[in-house]
Amino acid sequence: MSFLSLSTDPITEAYPDQPLAVSVDSTVGEVIELMRAQRGNCVLVCAGDDCQGKILGIFTERDALRWMAEGAAPQISIRDWMTANPAVLHARDSVGSAMEAMSAGGYRHLPVVDASGTPQSVISTGGLVHYLVDHFPNTIYTLPPEPGKTYDREGA
Amino acid sequence: MLLCPACGSENLDGADQCDECLHSLTDLSLPQAMTAVERGLLKDRIESLKPRSPIMVGPETPVGEVLKRMIDQRVGCVVIVDQQRRLLGIFTERDALMRLNVDAAKLADKPVSSLMTVSPATLRMRDKIAFALHRMHVGGYRHVPILDEQDRLAGVISIRGILSYLTERHLAKA
Repeated sequence: MSFLSLSTDPITEAYPDQPLAVSVDSTVGEVIELMRAQRGNCVLVCAGDDCQGKILGIFTERDALRWMAEGAAPQISIRDWMTANPAVLHARDSVGSAMEAMSAGGYRHLPVVDASGTPQSVISTGGLVHYLVDHFPNTIYTLPPEPGKTYDREGA
Repeated sequence: MLLCPACGSENLDGADQCDECLHSLTDLSLPQAMTAVERGLLKDRIESLKPRSPIMVGPETPVGEVLKRMIDQRVGCVVIVDQQRRLLGIFTERDALMRLNVDAAKLADKPVSSLMTVSPATLRMRDKIAFALHRMHVGGYRHVPILDEQDRLAGVISIRGILSYLTERHLAKA
């Protein structure tokens, strides 16, 4: 229940999501329709025919917003709109380091890759908040309406 | 075992008052903040996050223009307000992805009020940060508008703002 475990808890504690993977040959239109259908926040663009290979880029809601604002064509390749060589984490990194990396870089999603660079999962800000809320149950779920004030109990 | 702070006698856990001196023991059962970050969460209010002033637009603004402003100003949400700066709705990246998607170009002239999220959850400047975090986690929100005493829009807080606030505290302590 102590916040200190931030530096020792592995990121697998911070509710990693299964990534949505697409190939570099997909179009932006296909990708954002997939994101809507799966209610996903980001997709990972991966090498290989079955999208099981090395991570090449990431395409997030923010990139989708840029694409929408520009009014670009849906047939355009995802290659032109993804962020290539995104920052990644490794499974042994700590929750604290994920938080620091996100704050420093302004990221909302960090893919977790194995030794060969193949993505295993994605850590998001939502997962980190879930982890924090889990680890502060006494702080968060039992807040008195106005801390510092004492209450007289009514009845028995 | 609860030790009475007044007379020092031992009482059963969860006792409401001391068996010896009738001193109230209810405060001893309240949760105690254990670390600097927890104390900060409990004590600090939303105003210490310094909510940035949001991008405000009127309900008739075309959605295409809203998207451009979100990109230009590097924000994830705009807040839709009326003339008196009272909150009507919020339009976020998520709304763009779910409601515009591939039809973005076709819907660009629609007023933002037809695509926004109406009456979002709000918080006040005096609310605790822990309360905000809880509200955002339960509702799955990334942005929450902050209202002032007159129910007018005062700012917006984001989950990233809270996370970087916690990271700062965590690093400062380390």
